[in-house]
Amino acid sequence: MRLDIYRFDPESGAPPRMQAYEVQPEAGDKKLLDLLMRLRVQDDSLSFRRSCREGVCGSDAMNINGRNGLACLTALDGLKEPVMLRPLPGFPVIRDLIVDMTQFFAHYHSIRPWLINDEPLPERERLQTPAERERLDGLYECILCACCSAFCPSYWWNPDKFIGPSGLLQAYRFIADSRDTATAERLDFLDDVYRLYRCRTIMNCTEVCPKGLSPSHAIERIRLALLRRSS
Amino acid sequence: MRLFDGQRAWVVQRISALLLLVLAVLVLPFASPLDFSAWRAFAGGVLGGPLIALLFGALCAHAWVGLRDIVLDYIQPRGLRLAVLSLIAVVLLGVLVRVLLSLAAAALST
Repeated sequence: MRLDIYRFDPESGAPPRMQAYEVQPEAGDKKLLDLLMRLRVQDDSLSFRRSCREGVCGSDAMNINGRNGLACLTALDGLKEPVMLRPLPGFPVIRDLIVDMTQFFAHYHSIRPWLINDEPLPERERLQTPAERERLDGLYECILCACCSAFCPSYWWNPDKFIGPSGLLQAYRFIADSRDTATAERLDFLDDVYRLYRCRTIMNCTEVCPKGLSPSHAIERIRLALLRRSS
Repeated sequence: MRLFDGQRAWVVQRISALLLLVLAVLVLPFASPLDFSAWRAFAGGVLGGPLIALLFGALCAHAWVGLRDIVLDYIQPRGLRLAVLSLIAVVLLGVLVRVLLSLAAAALST
């Protein structure tokens, strides 16, 4: 199988280039990550992130044949050759397929991704009805792989100010949580021409999410929550 | 006060789009007569004048939000951004004032 992989080493001073590799999948190789691990044996200078190899940690997000995805969830069957592998678009490249996620996580922290509840602690856990719990489905599953944000043109233009689809999905996860008491403060924070309203409903995020989530739906729900609050 | 910021701009964009759809596509093409003097009388009348004013008000508001969005996305240098936004604001206000003056003139002549 032929792969063309983006190579960049800032220490060498050389400009980025695409390097061709030829590698044969062996029995048991099902996903793109299996092949990349085999390539690492051939060329140990090739750098990429990986950890759980089953779509839970979100480390191996990359641009595969022009589309962001997780190497560990991308089946080898049906991949068009040569497989073009590039780092997540719009993110600063540290080396090869490894990108700098600092800004991405700064946006994540800015939405205060934890439960805020100043009421006295109950004797046991804070309870939810099954319906209240159901509202978190499609939100809590986000693994922060950044496939969505790195495929969002609005995030490419304003990565420093627009929170991006991933951060906004996480923001709505806490707005929708019946146990959270900081909804008003969260909405105040998001009601900003950059943080939330840079979203132009392009919906690349929903199109590309490897977990099948819909950040654009969450963003719409935040807008409706803001509208309900002010009317 | 945050004029046209965040949610307000988003709401203005949607309401003005609805007004544009209703007025420019569904109402005015059928309500206004085709020959000039009749059209001028319609524009100066109690129904036509406010409808046309509302149409151009919605058009300018919609254009402002949309063009501002494009500027915020694509023009990053502060000085250039301010200059382009000012130019857009002046042109849109000019269009609005020109339309209102014409409507007033039409109303006075009937």
